[in-house]
Amino acid sequence: MFLLLPFDSLVVNLLGISITVLFTLLLVFIIVPAIFGVSFGIRKVYMKTLLKIFQWATLRIERGAKEKNHPLYKPYVNGIIAKEPTSLEEEIKEMRRSGSSKALDTPEFELSDIFYFCRKGIETIMDDEVTKRFSAEELESWNLLSRTNYNFQYISLRLTVLWGLGVLIRYCFLLPLRIALAFTGISLLVTGTTVVGYLPNGRCKDFLSKHVHLMCYRICVRALTAIITYHDRENRPRNGGICVANHTSPIDVIILASDGYYAMVGQIHGGLMGVIQRAMVKACPHVWFERSEVKDRHLVARRLTEHVQDKSKLPILIFPEGTCINNTSVMMFKKGSFEIGATVYPVAIKYDPQFGDAFWNSSKYGMVTYLLRMMTSWAIVCSVWYLPPMTRQPEEDAVQFANRVKSAIARQGGLVDLLWDGGLKREKVKDAFKEEQQKLYSKMIVGSHEDRSRS
Amino acid sequence: MRELADRTGFTSEQIEHLHRRFKQLSQDQLTIRKENFDSIPDLEFNPIRGKIVHAFFDKRNLRQESDGLADEINFEDFLTIMSYFRPIEMNMDEEQLDRFRKEKLKFLFHMYDSDHDGKITLQEYRNVVEELLSGNPHLEKESARSIADGAMMEAASICVGQMGPDQVYEGITFEDFLKMWQGIDIETKMHVRFLNVDTIAHCY
Repeated sequence: MFLLLPFDSLVVNLLGISITVLFTLLLVFIIVPAIFGVSFGIRKVYMKTLLKIFQWATLRIERGAKEKNHPLYKPYVNGIIAKEPTSLEEEIKEMRRSGSSKALDTPEFELSDIFYFCRKGIETIMDDEVTKRFSAEELESWNLLSRTNYNFQYISLRLTVLWGLGVLIRYCFLLPLRIALAFTGISLLVTGTTVVGYLPNGRCKDFLSKHVHLMCYRICVRALTAIITYHDRENRPRNGGICVANHTSPIDVIILASDGYYAMVGQIHGGLMGVIQRAMVKACPHVWFERSEVKDRHLVARRLTEHVQDKSKLPILIFPEGTCINNTSVMMFKKGSFEIGATVYPVAIKYDPQFGDAFWNSSKYGMVTYLLRMMTSWAIVCSVWYLPPMTRQPEEDAVQFANRVKSAIARQGGLVDLLWDGGLKREKVKDAFKEEQQKLYSKMIVGSHEDRSRS
Repeated sequence: MRELADRTGFTSEQIEHLHRRFKQLSQDQLTIRKENFDSIPDLEFNPIRGKIVHAFFDKRNLRQESDGLADEINFEDFLTIMSYFRPIEMNMDEEQLDRFRKEKLKFLFHMYDSDHDGKITLQEYRNVVEELLSGNPHLEKESARSIADGAMMEAASICVGQMGPDQVYEGITFEDFLKMWQGIDIETKMHVRFLNVDTIAHCY
């Protein structure tokens, strides 16, 4: 009993000192640079060190697997079956040529035509493009996170120790640090914007509001240890424009907003998000919709148009895909935002999956689980490209314009440009698409049939 | 695993791939039902989608004694259906090739013969043509019908030869079906080839 008392106070003292030291470090190295937008370069060094460790780990796995003759599973990015690149017409012509003794220039229906469709059907059942896109991209090298590797078995002592160490660092050191930062960032945002909201409208208010927003987003960026490289910053969106980007995770907002001052668009939520949203709108005009208003497309379009036409208001930030895609491709953009008629500033965001997979599969993980996963990854590394502004040409309609913007983004980010609707993750194909293939085939058969009956 | 490989003719690696795909389609259940095929968006393109899905559940294709439709299929059945689309191997002899071809043709025959009576009647033929041409809204039923009728007449002439004016052609039996395909090299058209990806080994 006696001996415990001084020991007790010693422990308490130590704890007190370490917490103070921690907070001072936080303040000096993270919060102050965040306020001024300066970086010490600590994160870049961290990234380089991590890369070296990952390379070593991957070599170890491959070596260990060879030694023990262990199975190693390599993920297939290109699918498992060889799909013929020939088109419908070529195939059918070829089949008929090999078969009948009839003249080749009288195409008409034959039993063999069914082969093509049958085979295509079975091929898609075996392996199809779209469903692959929606599960997280699989990695080639291992990044010491067991959630991204199928090969994680006991390979060697050193590797397991390293992995264990990694878990310790991530969960016991990085996670509390990040949560503290996030907390600081969010509370500063809420209080800052509320305070600024009391000021009269004017240049002073705008100036302060901009810096409060930027500062808090920068703190959040550091809370996630996001290492972002911005390219072509001269193309950054200006007032009265719409900023359009591809969507991989809710973090996209933080990444873009920490480098520019935007007006957000979205639905008002309850809870913590709602508090943040309501506070933000006091400092500067964001466009928040009630849940009931979201369904009304005309109302949405009208409010956005009003906002865009007022040149003193900030550029709007919109993610037209409508849902999170796993960052290997860009899906169909919904045309709503392209109908408004403002200048569109496309932005391409590409995450480097080596350090942490940022894709949010909302059917698999909830928001809180997702945030926890993010905060216990090593880091989030991404590149942002600001593309030159685009406007809708007079002869194209909203859908064509949307597709043009989409291709530009896909090309820049090195993502595959897919025609599929991101909503397919949950719904079925629209009927318009179904008809294409069938129309082509029937044109082939019927066209010729009509010729024959006429002659 | 070995037994599956022997029976269906796939390699263990291919079976692994297909098993993963099966799990994805069935959403980690042990069996697949018709609804699970709805989750494949590319399949919607296909005009005979209904018949293809139907073929998976057709008991005749599953090599079961009984007739009719199964409600759900397990992985073994899935593999059995997929094995109809295996490419021909170099080391097959005449007899094997012949059997192989017959099986593939039988699969197709079942696709046409929807009422399971062993004959493709005019109505069933028309059905298939209509489905294949169903995507075109401008196509009238009459055209589809006349195309089917024309094709059926030709089939009849190959199988039965010249018919008298009061002879009625009942339908294409499987033997007739086989006759029609003589000389046509269908084995190369009706297969799906696996990509040759190199792994170090396969996963258990």
